[in-house]
Amino acid sequence: MPGEAGKRLKREAYKKSINNEDQNTSLPQKRFYRQRAHANPFSDHTLAYPKSPVDMNWATHYPAYSVAQEKEAENAADDESHDQDQTSIKAITKNVEIADIGCGFGGLLFALAPKLPDTLILGMEIRTSVTEYVQEKIRAMRAQNSSSAYSYQNVACLRANTMKFLPNFFSKAQLSKIFLCFPDPHFKQRKHKARIVSYTLNSEYAYVMRPGGIVYTITDVEDLHKWMVDHFEKHPSFERVGEEEQEADECVKVMRTETEEGKKVERNKGLKFVACFRRCENPPWR
Amino acid sequence: MPFPYQCIQARNSGEREAAGWTLFGACGSRLVVQSSGGSNFVWPSGKNNVSEEKETEDDTQERPEKRIKLSHPPEIKSNFCCLSLSNDKQHIVAATAEDKCIRVFKIEPDCRLSELSQRCMPRRPCAIAITSDDSTILCADKFGDVYALPLFPSLEEERSSTPNSGHNEATTEKPYVPAASMLTVHSGRNRKVLEDQMKQANLGKKKTKEPMQFKHELLLGHVSMLTDIAYTTIDAGVEGGKPRSFILTADRDEHIRISRGPSQAYIIEGFCQGHEEFISRLCLTGSGLLVSGGGDDYIYVWDWLNSRLIEKLCIRDTVIQFARTNPELAASLLADEASFKIAVSGIWSVPHDQPKVRSSTDIVYMRLSNHLQGDEILVACEGIPGLFRFGIGGTPGGSAVGEAISLDGNALGVVFVCPTTGACTAVVSVDNLHKPGSTTEVREQEGPFRLQYFSYQGDHWEADTVVGGKLNWFSSRALADTASVANGQDAGSDMTVETEKARRAADEKAVRDILYGIANLRKRPGTED
Ligand SMILES: C[S@@+](CC[C@H](N)C(=O)[O-])C[C@H]1O[C@@H](n2cnc3c(N)ncnc32)[C@H](O)[C@@H]1O
Repeated sequence: MPGEAGKRLKREAYKKSINNEDQNTSLPQKRFYRQRAHANPFSDHTLAYPKSPVDMNWATHYPAYSVAQEKEAENAADDESHDQDQTSIKAITKNVEIADIGCGFGGLLFALAPKLPDTLILGMEIRTSVTEYVQEKIRAMRAQNSSSAYSYQNVACLRANTMKFLPNFFSKAQLSKIFLCFPDPHFKQRKHKARIVSYTLNSEYAYVMRPGGIVYTITDVEDLHKWMVDHFEKHPSFERVGEEEQEADECVKVMRTETEEGKKVERNKGLKFVACFRRCENPPWR
Repeated sequence: MPFPYQCIQARNSGEREAAGWTLFGACGSRLVVQSSGGSNFVWPSGKNNVSEEKETEDDTQERPEKRIKLSHPPEIKSNFCCLSLSNDKQHIVAATAEDKCIRVFKIEPDCRLSELSQRCMPRRPCAIAITSDDSTILCADKFGDVYALPLFPSLEEERSSTPNSGHNEATTEKPYVPAASMLTVHSGRNRKVLEDQMKQANLGKKKTKEPMQFKHELLLGHVSMLTDIAYTTIDAGVEGGKPRSFILTADRDEHIRISRGPSQAYIIEGFCQGHEEFISRLCLTGSGLLVSGGGDDYIYVWDWLNSRLIEKLCIRDTVIQFARTNPELAASLLADEASFKIAVSGIWSVPHDQPKVRSSTDIVYMRLSNHLQGDEILVACEGIPGLFRFGIGGTPGGSAVGEAISLDGNALGVVFVCPTTGACTAVVSVDNLHKPGSTTEVREQEGPFRLQYFSYQGDHWEADTVVGGKLNWFSSRALADTASVANGQDAGSDMTVETEKARRAADEKAVRDILYGIANLRKRPGTED
């Protein structure tokens, strides 16, 4: 297929051109990063993931929060800086607290990050090119704003299959918010286990969330909305957040208007269904 | 042709009759039982069609067509993949792979097995565990889910779950509502699915799988194939505290998950993280440590309650050292040593008398105070004719690698019987069909014995002829003259030399599939993104 091959060459040339300039401030162009809509969450992708959260090299994603950098500043005169062990080189001074699961092209990330400048936000996406796009955009936004008070240092994106590897990235009770925005609906009955929300997967969301933390969901597919509500409501670790509280939440507004899918639905005059769930305390042992 | 036993289990009778034990083996689609007293049994007994024909004759109301069907029953046989004994040692739970069934048998005093129930699961069972109160079977499946089933399905449940009782959600008629409207934003493929859905709905033919017609509860699930499950109960350690129960699950994606027991299994307490390859086996030792192994060069020892890795023991070096002592093995396994890969197929904790573990802090305390009495474990790897001994927590400095026990065939399973008070003999199932060291090459002449016996002497294991003498029938003669393996091919009545040969090849292939699936769990770097 010459068309396909030509497209690939163009993409590669394009990506090379932006890689060459480190301080490049121009935003990446989406058309070079489109990818077929569905990735199979069950297959063995050639994924990179840490053995556990402490093995993760967070510093490459949030360089402004790197522990090593801070230590270097502290020990500027000290000769002991070579003593730093592997973990502190990888570590950051605060933990990621918000995850956008299946972040797509990252609309939510870029809207939310400036509103919560002191909170680390992570987008997680299974599709390689889409992840690359978001990473490029983060790099460009940081470069564009390097002399401003705010420069998108609190946002990052990485490639991950969250349905399998969430506990590899986050430790118990680490997160205060998880976003599940316009998840793939997987209409087919036999593909329901591929949905990003299910009774059994909700246990993993509960594990990485602290009590009081909130899972935000939004979709334009009413059936999927009902499915998500159903599966979170029957999971004892979650309770639905009331309408009033939900509508007062700034994050809900951002989620409605700033995600790429949210905008598409807007243009098509479709409906958007929102539901939020609070992580309850674990009950005593029974 | 006696095929090897893919699973074995043993029960030792109560303390008063220390000399009594019973051995259970799964050989293809058959179960074999023998007691130390000499009684023996094979399940299913007799030929399949005999009993079915009798049933049909008894039932005079049966319509003729149906009788015809039954008198030529297609030979639907399924091979056993898991065997578990209830804690009270009165029942055995067995799962078969192809038909995904869980069967519960009562063990009669004369060794007969009476089948009490048969429940077919939606996915192939990979491992089963039984809760310590013997109320519940925990079944871990290939799709990553763990289901709880009562050990005994009650009559009440069976009645209420018969078809047409209205219990059955999937078949109750509901007006069809498509999952999304055309207004929804769709990719091209989704739109296609939606259109198909509407078409199907209009035809009124929505094919749904038959749901499980018995009481079952989905407890937890990984998005990965489960490979092993363990269940344990720990006293609270605080005054008046209740005992806590845990479900430990291992998967192909390097995860060991610690969940609360059945009533709160939705709560994940932690993960034991560190494996870099698939995990295939979990083993809780006598003193309460967790040992795990799989495709890694190491087996891992965990203080699992605190998600803490205690140590890693290099099984690969141990196996390589063992292979070097045997020129034939060295030639076949170590020809390309760098690419030699481990696939742990079994980890067993040698039983010993030790006080029960009380709490998480006690585990550490016990390890330190009991350092002469640490745990000994035996490890088997797929396609290796040996067992590897490790002492865990045996010395304050950590663990010790013991010598290997050399076997006549690849190790398949280990159980421990107690021939006299305080004594311990390991009964080892060995592969008498394949060449030692190979999972593919068949021997010229299969070995006559399927079991080997070693008596524990503290610092070493010694061939045990007493137990061996008693198990001669089990080891060599049982099922020697029957085709015991389901190979998907029907036995023809007019066997020519050619069909006999083909059948033999199919049998061997079936045996290979039953015995050696673990190395296949290793991920091959994918080509797709
Ligand atoms: C319909 S898009 C929504 C994107 C974005 N949240 C928005 O609202 O604009 C769903 C995204 O989830 C991603 N996804 C699906 N399964 C995933 C998984 N297991 N892990 C990570 N991302 C996944 C898909 O690749 C896709 O980009």
